[in-house]
Amino acid sequence: MKDLTISRRALLAGLAATPALAMLPGRAMAASGTIRIVMKDLLTSNPEDVAHVARIEEALAARGHDIKIEIIDLPSEGYAEKLNLMLLSGDVPDIIYFQGGDEQIAQQGVLMDLNPLIAKTEHLSKALWPHNTARLGNYPHLLYVYPARTKAPVMRKDLLEATGLSAPTSLEEWDALLRAIPGTEIGGKAVKHGIIAPNNTAELDAIFDPAFGIEQTWMKNADGELIHSRISEGERAKLAWYASLFADGVLDPEFITSNWEVKEDKFYTGQVGVVMGTAGPVVGIYEAKMAQVNPGAELVLLTPPAGIQAVDVSKESRGFAIPVTTKKTDAIMAFFDFVASPEGQMMERLGFEGEHYTREGDTLTATDKLGAWYPRFIYANPNYHQPPLSPLSPLAQSALQQGVDFFRADNTFVWSPELAAAVDGAETYYRTNVFRFVSGELSTENDWDAFVAGWLAAGGQAMTDHARTVM
Amino acid sequence: MTKHDKAGAFSPKIGNVPNRARPRQADAYNSRGARLRDGVREWWPYYLMLAPGLIYFGLFHYLPIWEARLAFEDLRIIGPNVWVGTKHFAQLFASPTFFEVLKNTLIISAMKVAFVFPLPIILSLLLNEVRSGRFRRGVQSVIYLPHFLSWVVIAGIFIAALSPSNGVVNDLRDFVGLDRRSFMTDSGSIRWVLVWSEAWRSAGWDSLLYFAAIMAIDPALYEAAEMDGASRWQKMRHITLPGIVPTIATLFILHVGLFLNAGFDQVFNLSNDAIRDKIDIIDTYVYRLGITGGQFSLATAAGLFKGVIGMILMIGAHTLSKRLTGKGVW
Repeated sequence: MKDLTISRRALLAGLAATPALAMLPGRAMAASGTIRIVMKDLLTSNPEDVAHVARIEEALAARGHDIKIEIIDLPSEGYAEKLNLMLLSGDVPDIIYFQGGDEQIAQQGVLMDLNPLIAKTEHLSKALWPHNTARLGNYPHLLYVYPARTKAPVMRKDLLEATGLSAPTSLEEWDALLRAIPGTEIGGKAVKHGIIAPNNTAELDAIFDPAFGIEQTWMKNADGELIHSRISEGERAKLAWYASLFADGVLDPEFITSNWEVKEDKFYTGQVGVVMGTAGPVVGIYEAKMAQVNPGAELVLLTPPAGIQAVDVSKESRGFAIPVTTKKTDAIMAFFDFVASPEGQMMERLGFEGEHYTREGDTLTATDKLGAWYPRFIYANPNYHQPPLSPLSPLAQSALQQGVDFFRADNTFVWSPELAAAVDGAETYYRTNVFRFVSGELSTENDWDAFVAGWLAAGGQAMTDHARTVM
Repeated sequence: MTKHDKAGAFSPKIGNVPNRARPRQADAYNSRGARLRDGVREWWPYYLMLAPGLIYFGLFHYLPIWEARLAFEDLRIIGPNVWVGTKHFAQLFASPTFFEVLKNTLIISAMKVAFVFPLPIILSLLLNEVRSGRFRRGVQSVIYLPHFLSWVVIAGIFIAALSPSNGVVNDLRDFVGLDRRSFMTDSGSIRWVLVWSEAWRSAGWDSLLYFAAIMAIDPALYEAAEMDGASRWQKMRHITLPGIVPTIATLFILHVGLFLNAGFDQVFNLSNDAIRDKIDIIDTYVYRLGITGGQFSLATAAGLFKGVIGMILMIGAHTLSKRLTGKGVW
């Protein structure tokens, strides 16, 4: 009878402990199954992708998970459209990498809320960046653990020296530097233009918006009313400044028909002085290519005059989603958690030992190939884990740090599908008229009120009315 | 008698004209199904040859029409779509952008019909007057070439040629004392860029059809005209041109049917933010909103609207052509 009592107690204790154990982070039960993943630039035709996925499977197996990862090939060109069509045809993989177009799918309740799943992980929850946490709070369906894609301005060090000016810190100093660049010679050749942004003014806005008081997308006007920054007085002053740069040939007059390839070509060949690149690896690429085209040329990172544009935290603009149709949630989260772990990050960030880096004792040395390696799934917050060797150059790391230092959350939000046509109309109207202001076809002095009225009529009023109800 | 002729037929078949006058029982003869069955039995080799084409059009052109019902539904990835009636059309017509896009489509299409459509006709008439066959063939080969270039390549050529800083067109303008002009960002020029790039690409190739029609004109007509002392101009005006009117009428009606297809590939590749509001057409709007933005139902509504308007225009052009020239597509 006594034995029976003890065994009952043990049984009750065990039953009581089971849910508590399940809630503990990490040490999840072994997961199994085949995960189908579709992702841009993750292809079975790329031997590195296949080998990387295979060693992740092996590492997961060593942790007791019997997980196979099946890559679904989808062409990189026009990925977002092709993915939409694939999902529409009823083929819904277990992990879907979206690069836009996810909102319409999420609004149908097809994508899982990732927050409770992430909360249970041992490594992933700690590997998130601050902007990831904010975005997951607003929109819990996409996971993209990478640094925020902020823009960082760079120029050739010898060009800066040739202008006789120091690195600018205020808008006035920026203005002086940009105007000093055209005509300044480097390598016996005069630079034509001070700055370029591809296709539109977005890259200029990324570093100059705060200098004109544009702190967030939605701001209060003089009457205390909520308005979009695109019809604010700050926007007006900014466009007037862009127009003066354009008129003086400081801003490349062909920026609107120049894509990112043309932008880079003009930068490397000394036709323009300053460009903005995505902080981190892209800045590293600029540095490497510049040195390749102009041996010995170095880049310097410039400081935006008043910080960088506020970072949109309404949602991730790209990232991984898990559909509610999957039966492999445990396996998927085990996969992500491993990739976010220190062991997984070594694989993700440094590539293959012997190929992308070499090891002598505890010392790791990068090979020439490390520059061509890139993390496929997760780039953990360095506060959680930083591999002993960084593939990024000091300049690229400084650019990343600049983004972190200047980080400020924007107050924009996700639009409902009913407003899709209005948002599209207002955006088209804005982009077209911005060029007309910059090129001098319109004047910020005389045509501003008409522009504001036109923007509101093109869909801006519907956007503003909606914003005033939800904010 | 052939193997298709049946016993009891009192009217022999002439050539390959089916024998419709065979005596039958009244009810069987009046039955449409029976007549079709007899027709198929009698002409089965021809129906067999027709089958792949019919299957192709059925599968890829008619069956998808049923999917246009998406314009009246909210799309669901999982589970059945939700019927919402005309919600997406109301949303579309409430957007001022859609009417801007429709206006652009009509203007660009009208410009192309007015300026591009006549070019291959003129080109074929001029080529027909070239006496040296070798020279004519050389010219034809050269003017066909642009047809085989993709719009991505053509856009690259035009953007480079029209560049205000170092484009050949502006270099020429500079040479003759004219100001340099940014054609690709000038709202007054961009539609003309579309028209002339379309003409450059398609005029040579499209002239092939007219040239073939000219070749089919009876040479005796020219000989008779020469005997009557007709000049080359008079022969062109009174023999060649009337001889290709049926071809012109047919192609014009087909052009009108595709009137709202203002050229997605062309506009997509030649567009930029400076002039988007001038050349944004229904197809690029549907692509941007539907395919890229994931608003498939809204985009289907816009596409369906375009299809219905295109159908109305084609029937209108056919009816008008029948009245004016006696020729139509059916």
